[in-house]
Amino acid sequence: MQLTRKQLDSLIGAVAKGDEAAFAELYQVSSSKLFAVALRILRNREAAEEVLQESYFRVWEKAGDFNPALASPLTWMAAIVRNRCIDEVRRKVPRGSTDESLLENLESADEHPIVGLERQEDVQRLMRCMEGLEPEKKQMVRLAYLDGMSREDLAAKFGRPEGTIKTWLHRSLAQLKGCLEQ
Amino acid sequence: MNELDDIDGLAAEYVLGTLNREERLSVESRLLSEPALKAGIEAWQRRLTPLADTVTPVLPPPNLYNKIRAQIGLSAHVISLKARERQLTQRGNRWRNAAAAMTAMAASLVGVVAIREQHYQQMPTQFVAVLQAGDDKPAFLMTVDTRTHNCVITAVAAPKKAEKSYEVWMVHDQLPKPKSLGVMSEGDMNVMPMADGPDNDMFMNASFAVSLEPEGGSPTGAPTGPVLFSGKLMKATP
Repeated sequence: MQLTRKQLDSLIGAVAKGDEAAFAELYQVSSSKLFAVALRILRNREAAEEVLQESYFRVWEKAGDFNPALASPLTWMAAIVRNRCIDEVRRKVPRGSTDESLLENLESADEHPIVGLERQEDVQRLMRCMEGLEPEKKQMVRLAYLDGMSREDLAAKFGRPEGTIKTWLHRSLAQLKGCLEQ
Repeated sequence: MNELDDIDGLAAEYVLGTLNREERLSVESRLLSEPALKAGIEAWQRRLTPLADTVTPVLPPPNLYNKIRAQIGLSAHVISLKARERQLTQRGNRWRNAAAAMTAMAASLVGVVAIREQHYQQMPTQFVAVLQAGDDKPAFLMTVDTRTHNCVITAVAAPKKAEKSYEVWMVHDQLPKPKSLGVMSEGDMNVMPMADGPDNDMFMNASFAVSLEPEGGSPTGAPTGPVLFSGKLMKATP
């Protein structure tokens, strides 16, 4: 289903007033994307379901705090879900066992924007800027953002000290910022 | 080459998700007092969230939405209960005064409680709640003894439902989710021993709710059916 930014904003506005039908619609258009985001970081269905449940409850409770001038509804909701996921994986050391079959299903596509034309433009702009990064740095950013890897995880994976990883990340992020601002 | 200053670098890594637990907690504790850090994080969320859009959607299990709705239903009850409690408190601090304002059905229950009260005069550990659906007549009467950690629930006017069970829940800010106190079995009075009994404060501030579940109780450990009745504990002894 494709909704424009305006439609999404008004859905959240209705949710803030306690409109249950609007909440159901918001869930319908966003839950499979957010579930995928949580699954990919947590790699555990049960944990992902729990995070999703908590996150939508928070969306219901905090919809009144949503500020459309600061972020799109999806950005706001994705931040809620990702923060909970990352807190969850950082709580456990080391990372729990990985369900590899689950991973294979998740690794697939690079671009599947679901919501709205403006959103697709955002995705394409970011993808173009990501292409400007060296392949290893690009992979690092994706592993961090999408898979929830910490500096420590990345250091182990790339066989570099954490300090080097931090420098690489900061350079890559600065490069992305510069590219997105063009 | 572009450089990120300290604040922007921290904001970027917070959003990217690469900080360790201590660093994340430290960022979160600084948010209220450092608008620049907060603004930096919001800007990085706008920049990076399109990445989340590149994952292939996965349909969550069909019952998840119902669980969320159940959680919202419980919280809505708690909110309306808090409002009503405030109202009642204004009319008098003692629960008897509050109870006097309830329906005629509740008034007859008060008699029952008053007898208990006499009986347990020396035990300030008895609490009572009338679990009712909105302003309708009460459906369950619940007493809790925080010393023995026993919770006695009496069905007063609860309609029997075929192939369904009533399950009793405790709801509190400090609990991550509603805690099941047990499933009402056949018969009108149930004693539910409460393992790891929480302290008096937890009880006094908790709300209690009854949901309609599949026979034998919720299959998930959280309320899945409609929340039918809810109420709050009041001291049954001075």
